[in-house]
Amino acid sequence: MSTTGDSAQPISGAGESGKECPDWQALLERIPYARHLGLEVQRGDAGVLVHLPCREALIGNFMLPALHGGVLGALIELTARVAAQSQDTETRCPRILDSHINYLRSAKARSTFARADIVRQGRRTSLVQVTCWQGDENKPIATGQVQLLLPTMAAQQEDRHGH
Amino acid sequence: MTKPNRAQHSNAVATAWQFTEQVPHGRELGMQVVSVDQGQVCMRLTPQSWMFSQEDTKEICTSVLYSLADSAGGLAVFAGALELMPIATLDLRMDYLRPASGDQALLAVATCRHLTDEVAFIHCDILSEGNRELLATANATFMRNTQGQQFHAGGRGKESA
Repeated sequence: MSTTGDSAQPISGAGESGKECPDWQALLERIPYARHLGLEVQRGDAGVLVHLPCREALIGNFMLPALHGGVLGALIELTARVAAQSQDTETRCPRILDSHINYLRSAKARSTFARADIVRQGRRTSLVQVTCWQGDENKPIATGQVQLLLPTMAAQQEDRHGH
Repeated sequence: MTKPNRAQHSNAVATAWQFTEQVPHGRELGMQVVSVDQGQVCMRLTPQSWMFSQEDTKEICTSVLYSLADSAGGLAVFAGALELMPIATLDLRMDYLRPASGDQALLAVATCRHLTDEVAFIHCDILSEGNRELLATANATFMRNTQGQQFHAGGRGKESA
């Protein structure tokens, strides 16, 4: 993992132990599109981060230049998915039901980081809030909420009966 | 499929169309503009195996649909406004109705629902090309006339001619 330039995010403050970190990287690597984007897990005192390295193919506006909104969408959705999966005792593969992303500042052509907060981990669903920033974590460039469905046998039976 | 009809359009739509096809991330994903008709935009994307969401399924990652909706939505702002100005996505909400099979191309159909001087409200449906099944829907709000360099589809960082 690179620790040069702005690709290593200094992390301050206390938080969770981040013991799930190795799982995060393994879970990300099972996702072909996450591998394509080059998403990598970083870990610190304040928890687990997902790092999106910048490259030209991620640009959405070459005049500014700025990252494509869909690239931030991918970072948020995939971070949420891995966060929800790592919290699940059976590490079931969640299905993304919906996502709502707010763009707060222009996303420059540079390293981007994402942190996930589980709003609610239920038996069948997980709601994850993800914050993205570049350089200064106190100046987020985007936030997103992702609703995920965790497959259960009971849920499949309920779905068959219709609700 | 409708033949691309860029030449028939006003300068604003033709330039926005050209701009959309030059976006590096759109090029990487292989997004193509199919048509712009009466404020409605259609874009197409052919899935590739690196876009999948898992190794063992041929399901396209939802984030690829997200990118397609964002791009089609942006072009729909210009299709609705018929005027070139810098825009920015304020927010985008996606609902993923069905898994998207990697066997079929994706189509995005985006329309501008309402336009003010400052914002544009966009709706976008993502369909599978073969059976026209609705895979996902998106609602996005775009800010119009944002700060930044002037709109220019010809190259990198140059001022508009």
